[in-house]
Amino acid sequence: MKKTFLFLFALAFAFSSCEKDDICDANTPTTPRLVISFYDINNSSIPKTVTNLKIIGEGMTDGIIFKGSDLISGTTVSIPLKTDANTSTFRFISNFGNPNPAAVNEDIIKFDYTREDFFVSRACGFKTLFTLDPLTPFTHTDAAVADGKWMQYVAVKKSNIETENETHLEIYF
Amino acid sequence: MKHTLKSIFSICLILSLFFANAQETAQKKEADVSKTAGVIPDNGNSKMVKLTAAKMTDTIVVPVKTNRYGLRVGVDLFKLTRALYDKDYKGIEFTGDYRLTKKYYLAAELGNENKTTDDERLNFTTKGSYLKAGFDYNAYENWLDMENIISIGFRYGFSTFSQELNNYKIYNSNPYFGETAAIVSGEKFNGLSAHWLEVVAGVKAKVFNNVFMGFSLRLNTLISNKKPDNFDNLYIPGFNRTYNGSFGVGFNYTVSYFIPIYKKKLKPEEATTGNKK
Repeated sequence: MKKTFLFLFALAFAFSSCEKDDICDANTPTTPRLVISFYDINNSSIPKTVTNLKIIGEGMTDGIIFKGSDLISGTTVSIPLKTDANTSTFRFISNFGNPNPAAVNEDIIKFDYTREDFFVSRACGFKTLFTLDPLTPFTHTDAAVADGKWMQYVAVKKSNIETENETHLEIYF
Repeated sequence: MKHTLKSIFSICLILSLFFANAQETAQKKEADVSKTAGVIPDNGNSKMVKLTAAKMTDTIVVPVKTNRYGLRVGVDLFKLTRALYDKDYKGIEFTGDYRLTKKYYLAAELGNENKTTDDERLNFTTKGSYLKAGFDYNAYENWLDMENIISIGFRYGFSTFSQELNNYKIYNSNPYFGETAAIVSGEKFNGLSAHWLEVVAGVKAKVFNNVFMGFSLRLNTLISNKKPDNFDNLYIPGFNRTYNGSFGVGFNYTVSYFIPIYKKKLKPEEATTGNKK
């Protein structure tokens, strides 16, 4: 009887030690970014590649870094929304740094949304999930330089921003 | 630091158990000596052995060995004094045990805790009461009228409590707009409960008269717990923290008073069977 107890105790101690969960695992789904996909205006089913797109948040000087670069070239981009405000405004500068000034075009999109915080874990704390405003999810305007909008059509694909595995906004140009 | 403390406790515990074993084997040897002497029949010593056996029964009868039975009540000094150096903690635990048989004790702990946990990303306050009930098995062979205890036991624990989320931080793996400050919440989750099992290893030593000092080390594992919506039971009164490993750990340091209720005389047969075992 005593030996059994002793064995159980020793076993329990062996398993009780050092299981660190102080650091939030990178694979844990936390606050998601808004995922944007680009499509061809002439053929809405074909993804279109943007070249040297720079996205700058309101009041910021640096562009959003996506896949290691602040000059985005590709058919999709993810941008972080503000977790402490219900609006986030971004400048979308297409062909940034192009020597031909006529090719550079800037559009502004302001997102309106509501936020809700959800518990993740002790190490990660909480995450914020967003729901785009059902009436005016975004406001698309041209920049100060009136050179026309480079985005010809913007549509919300999914207004609940809960994971980064899906497209929330579609931009046609 | 936490782990050093843990390992020190475990070493102490293992050593104390070895001590218990050492005591028992020593006694076994004694019993064995008398036994082997009795078995050898043909070298003329048998008569002498019988004599000593008769003498032994005589000596046992004269100073009658009695075991005292009763209720022991105590308080956990560790929880009580922790409030002095930890401003985020208030707690009290009463302990009690009742001797059922020579080796078995009914045991229980009743307590209340109020603890604020300040973590990297969370700050919350847990308040609640708990009850643990079970038994202790005394593995220590006492000599004469000693009443020391080196015990191993089981407990079933139950706790009702509330959690209050004071503030929290949002995890953002892409802090483009900068890390946001902690958000003050103040949300309270009431009516929570938890059940768990504990294995207890403990030592109690008689200091003087009926006063005992002791400590115990506990390993516990949750059976079930009612979690709040959109939060978790990271700390449970009586159980301790629920993270960092699959087992929880507990500790108490008690001073207790024994209230004798009745005495049981130890019969010689019982004494000898006890020795043989």
